[in-house]
Amino acid sequence: MDVFLTSPWLPPEWIRAHGMTPRGLWAAKNFPPRATPLAAGVCAFAEAAIQFADAHTKDTVIFSTHCDQLRRGCDLAQLHGQRHAFLFNLPVTWQTTAAKEIFRAELERLGQFLRSLGGRIPYAKHLRHELELSAAARTQLLAAATANSPRDFAAAVAQFHRDGTASTPPPAVAPARQIPLALVGGPLFAPHWPLFDEIESAGGRVVLNATETGERSLCPAFDFAAHSSTDTPATPFDVLVHGYCDHLVDVFQRPNTRLYAWLKPRLAARQVRGIVLWHFTGCDLWRAEFQTLRETFGLPVLLLEAGAEPGLTPREQTRLQAFVETLERATPVLA
Amino acid sequence: MTTAPQKISLAQWDDRYEQLCRNGMREPAYGGPLRRHVVRDLDFRLEQLQFDNSAAALRLWNFLLTENARLHQARANGDQLVGTMKDLGTVPVMAYALPGLRAFYPDGAWWTPCLMENSDQLLQQADAMGIDASFCPVRAMLPAFENGEHFPKPDLLICSTGAVCDDFSAIAQRLEHLGHPIHWWEMPRRRTPTASEKACTLAGQLVAPRMQVDCVQDELQLIAQALGELAGKTLDDAALSAGIRAANQVRRLLGSLRQLVYSAPAAPLPALEMLVAEMLAIHFCSDREETIAVLTSLLTEARARVRLNESVLAADAVRIFWVNPVADLRAMNLLEELGGRICGTDYMFTHALDLISEELPPLEALARTALADPMVGPTADRALRIARECQAGGAEAVVVSRIPGASHCAREGEIIREIVRQQIGVPVIELEIPPVCDALLPALGSRLQALIETVRARRPR
Repeated sequence: MDVFLTSPWLPPEWIRAHGMTPRGLWAAKNFPPRATPLAAGVCAFAEAAIQFADAHTKDTVIFSTHCDQLRRGCDLAQLHGQRHAFLFNLPVTWQTTAAKEIFRAELERLGQFLRSLGGRIPYAKHLRHELELSAAARTQLLAAATANSPRDFAAAVAQFHRDGTASTPPPAVAPARQIPLALVGGPLFAPHWPLFDEIESAGGRVVLNATETGERSLCPAFDFAAHSSTDTPATPFDVLVHGYCDHLVDVFQRPNTRLYAWLKPRLAARQVRGIVLWHFTGCDLWRAEFQTLRETFGLPVLLLEAGAEPGLTPREQTRLQAFVETLERATPVLA
Repeated sequence: MTTAPQKISLAQWDDRYEQLCRNGMREPAYGGPLRRHVVRDLDFRLEQLQFDNSAAALRLWNFLLTENARLHQARANGDQLVGTMKDLGTVPVMAYALPGLRAFYPDGAWWTPCLMENSDQLLQQADAMGIDASFCPVRAMLPAFENGEHFPKPDLLICSTGAVCDDFSAIAQRLEHLGHPIHWWEMPRRRTPTASEKACTLAGQLVAPRMQVDCVQDELQLIAQALGELAGKTLDDAALSAGIRAANQVRRLLGSLRQLVYSAPAAPLPALEMLVAEMLAIHFCSDREETIAVLTSLLTEARARVRLNESVLAADAVRIFWVNPVADLRAMNLLEELGGRICGTDYMFTHALDLISEELPPLEALARTALADPMVGPTADRALRIARECQAGGAEAVVVSRIPGASHCAREGEIIREIVRQQIGVPVIELEIPPVCDALLPALGSRLQALIETVRARRPR
C-alpha cells in the first residue's frame, strides 16, 4: 500500500518497516492534482494535499501538524470522507524531553494505524535495515548536493522521497561567473523546477537548495554508535527517534535557531551572495523570516511567492532578474 | 433618578457621567469619564461606538482601557510582570497564584489599531519590521514591544506553541529574534485517544489521551518553576489550588452573566460589553480581584434589568451565535443596529470559560484546561460545540468572523459551516472584519442584513 507523506519529517523508514511504501506527497507523479482558484489566505500546497487525499481515498495520506493549514487540511480531508488520513503530531519545540516523548508516542500511534491497515509488525531487524539503507542514500545525495546541477539535484532528492533510492547524475559543469544563491523556504516540487532555469537565465545559480524538499530534507541521520552504551546497544526505534528529533531543521521549530545554525556554515562555505525565500501564499512561518534572514546573514533576500499556478509571473521574473543584476554589482558580505 | 437602559454615544456618555456623579456614583481608582481615553490615550474609536449606559458598563470600559496604565503602576509598585502569549487562559491562572506577579497578554495589542484608529501606526511599524498585512492584526504586538509606549516590557515572556496559529508563532519568533527571550512550551494537537490509550475527560465534552495530558503537565511544571523563580517563591500545589479557586470564581460569574444575557428573551446588555466582559476571563485584565468586582456589578445590573423586563434591544432581534473575536469593536454595534443580537459566542477561548477541576491535582487540572482550547483540537470538535450551544441558546444563525490574515481562518470557516449546517441546519455566513472596518461597513451591513432577513423569513408566522 502506498502511504503518502506531506512532510519530509514524517519518517519513511518507519513506514517501510511496516511493509508499506512511503512516498513524499510532493514527489508523487500526479502532484499537485490540478491548479484551482484559491480562497483568500489558502496555501496552494495544503490545498493540493487536500485534493490529493480526496482523490486517493484508497491510499493513506499522513498529514503533519507543523503548520496550521495542513493541520486543518487533515480535518477537511476527513470531513470529505478520507478514512485513511492520519494526522501526525510533529512537536515544534525540541529542547525538552516532552517533545521527544510526543514524537516517540506519535510513531507508535502511527505504527498501530499502519498495522490496522494491514501493515506488518516492524521488527527491529527490519527497521535497522531500513535505517541503514536510508542513511546510505541520504549520505550519497548530500555528497552530491554541490556537484549536480540544481535541477538534477532537486530531481534526485524527489526520487529519494518517492521511492527511497538515490541516484546521482554526473556532475554538471557550472557556467562561469554565475551569482551563487541559496534557495530557502517551503516545498518546491517538479512543476516549480523551471525556477532553477529562470535563476540561471538571470545569471544566478542555486548552490544551496534549502527548501523543505531539498538538501535540508536529507538531514535526519541514524547513528547507532552514538546512542549505544557499553552494555546496552541502541534499539533501532531509539535511533529513529533521535535521528529525526536531533536533526530536524525547519522554520516551524521553536526556537528556530537550528535552521539558522544549519544555514550559516553552508552559506559561508558556498559563498552565497543572495537568498531567494520561496514560500506559498498564506505561509506565515516562512514569510515572517524574510527580515530575520536578512538581519542574521547580512545578505540580500528576495521573497518569491508560490500561488495556485506553478511558474513565476512576469512580475516575479522581473524581480528575480533585478535581484541577480543587483548582486552582480554588489560586494559579497556574510555577517 | 432612574434611567432606562439604552445604548448611547460617547458624547451622550459625557452627560451621563455627570449625571451619575451627581447621583453619588462611587468609582474605583481607575474610574473617570470615558472621554479621557480619547483625549489622553487617543482611543478615537470610542467616538464611533455605542455603549451601554450603566455605571457597571462604565466601570467595565474604564477597567479595560486603563490596563496598560495599571500595569505600569504595578511595575512601579514592585510587581513582576509576566507576558503570557497565545494560550489564552491557562498560564495567568498560575501567575496570579503567586504574590507579586501580574500576567497579561501582549496579544491584546491586536485591538490597539482599532481603538486608536491606526493613529499610532502600529501596523505600519509592523510592516517595517517584516510582518506585513498578510499577518493577523496581532502583529501590532511587535512594535508595541519595541517602542514601549503601550504595555511595559515583561520580566518574563511565555508562549505556547505547537498546535497554535502560525501567525502568532511566526510573530513571536520574530519577537525573540529582536531580543526578547521567550519560554516556549509545547501544546500538542489534541486528538481522540486510541482504543489502547487511557483517556482523560476535558471540559466541553472533550477527551484527550492521558499521554497528552502528561506532556502538557510536564510543560506547565517547567512554567511553574520559571514563575516561582521570578516571584522568589515556590509555586506549590496549595498556592495553585487557591489560584484555581479564584479563577473559577471569575468563570462562575462570567458563566452566570453569559447565561442570563444570552438566554434572556430580550438582551439586557449589549453585545459589545459582553465581548469585553468575556475577554476578562483570559487574564483578568491584569487584576483578578477587580475583575470579580467588575463582573459582579455587570451581573447585578443585568439581573435588575431582567427582573424589570428592561432591555437594550428589541425583543424580536435575530439570535446570532458569533464565532471568533472581531478586530473592530464597531462590528458588534453593527450587528445590533441591523436587528441582530448575540445569543452565544466562541471567541476562541471557550476553555477559559469552563470551570477548572478543583478535584484533580492542580497542574493536571490546568493541563486538561489547556488541552480543551478550541484552537488546538480538530475543528470538528469546535464546530460540534458551537452546534450544541446554538441549540441550547436558540440560535437562528451563525456568523463566523474572519480575522484578516489569520492562518486558522483560511480553513476553519468551511469546516464549521459544514458541520453546523449538518447538525442544526441554521444559516452560517463568514465575514472578514479588519481593525477599522468603516470602509467596509456598507458591504458588511449588507451581508448581515441579508442574513437577518433570511432568518426572519424562516420564522414561523
